[in-house]
Amino acid sequence: MLDELFERLEKQDRLALARLLTLVAREEQLDVIRSRAGKRPEKTRVVAITGNAGVGKSTLVGKLAEYLRSQGQSVAILACDPQSPLTGGALLGDRVRMPSRPDDPGIYIRSVAAASGHQAVAEHVDVMIRVLGRYGFDVVLLETVGAGQGDTAVSELADVVVLLVQPESGDELQWEKAGLLEVADVVVVHKADLAGADRTEGQVKELLSLPGCRKIAVLRVSSTKGEGFEALWQAVLESPRHAAAADEDARELLRRAQEILAERFHRQGDRVGNVIDRWKRQELDEAQAADELLQLLAR
Amino acid sequence: MSKQPSLRIVLAKVGLDGHDRGVKVVARGLRDAGFHVIYPGLWQAPEAVIRTVADEDADWLGISLLSGTHMTLVPRLIEQLREAGLGHVGVLVGGIIPEADIPKLTELGVARVFGPGTPMEDIVQFLRDSGSRTHA
Repeated sequence: MLDELFERLEKQDRLALARLLTLVAREEQLDVIRSRAGKRPEKTRVVAITGNAGVGKSTLVGKLAEYLRSQGQSVAILACDPQSPLTGGALLGDRVRMPSRPDDPGIYIRSVAAASGHQAVAEHVDVMIRVLGRYGFDVVLLETVGAGQGDTAVSELADVVVLLVQPESGDELQWEKAGLLEVADVVVVHKADLAGADRTEGQVKELLSLPGCRKIAVLRVSSTKGEGFEALWQAVLESPRHAAAADEDARELLRRAQEILAERFHRQGDRVGNVIDRWKRQELDEAQAADELLQLLAR
Repeated sequence: MSKQPSLRIVLAKVGLDGHDRGVKVVARGLRDAGFHVIYPGLWQAPEAVIRTVADEDADWLGISLLSGTHMTLVPRLIEQLREAGLGHVGVLVGGIIPEADIPKLTELGVARVFGPGTPMEDIVQFLRDSGSRTHA
């Protein structure tokens, strides 16, 4: 089945694309899809849009997608919404604020449910991005659930992280506490048509001018008025792509090695228990026991 | 190591029908029952609904209609689903549908029509029993 799906994906079959993403979300044949999809092509730029709930992420993503379409770029949107930890259910409503262009093949919107506790994006978004890259999208916009404090996983997935803040959303201390400014490459003061936007912009700039801060672009965008998108995209293009994204393969390799290790450990179940028992009975000292465990794993 | 999959259902308001209280109640109820509910908002063109169902790889499409246009819009949606290669997607209709039209709709391929006063539990149970024709 995967052969056929990937064959269709090469021919830009949207239904095959949609099905592959479903398989990824369901963790079906995840490793096979990951390797078949291959490395994300250089041309596919991944931009994460993050920020607190209500700051306007979906709206901005929608408008940014329209801007990119007007520039001839094909765009895929992965819109993450939270999933109930109790039932696994999810209400995925980001599409409400996104463009509806049924006749435009250059835009693809997919809602994904993010399990709570798994940072700010859905699981296996890295594999979804690979599949979207394989399909050939120029840009992938990754909308987070609404970042909380210390949500940094996005910076490993995306080339550029855009953090949205809005006017009147707390004093300077809030910014620092959020720790998000550490991962942001571009900070957008969204809803710039509202009063107080210039003050918020000033506060963010002041914070970022403290010694030791990276150079981060700060700019104002109004989705209501459709202003600031050209400048925003320019800032994204000028922002250096994360080394982390390029290191994805190395991380992948390590992850795979860890899995193999875990599998071997599991396979040696009884023998592992045996070594531990002997160590408990003090027939082995710690160094000897560790040594025996390693020998088991090497088999 | 695959997970217990959640069924994906697109709930849609089609055409010039602004009554979305009902569809929002159903969306919430299905979410609470463990489904993944995709709601694209009011005033959707049939083409936009089809695109959403395709891109989201939905198992079900729930159409909410209170405007009396069901005998025009539902056949069009079902035809467009088939044309788009989405004949496997189950179709539900909810809202104000005269008794006499229900057999016509089911004949067209609607799996079930849920009228006003339907307990949430009925919809949940129906979807659980029917499962997904998409993913074995």
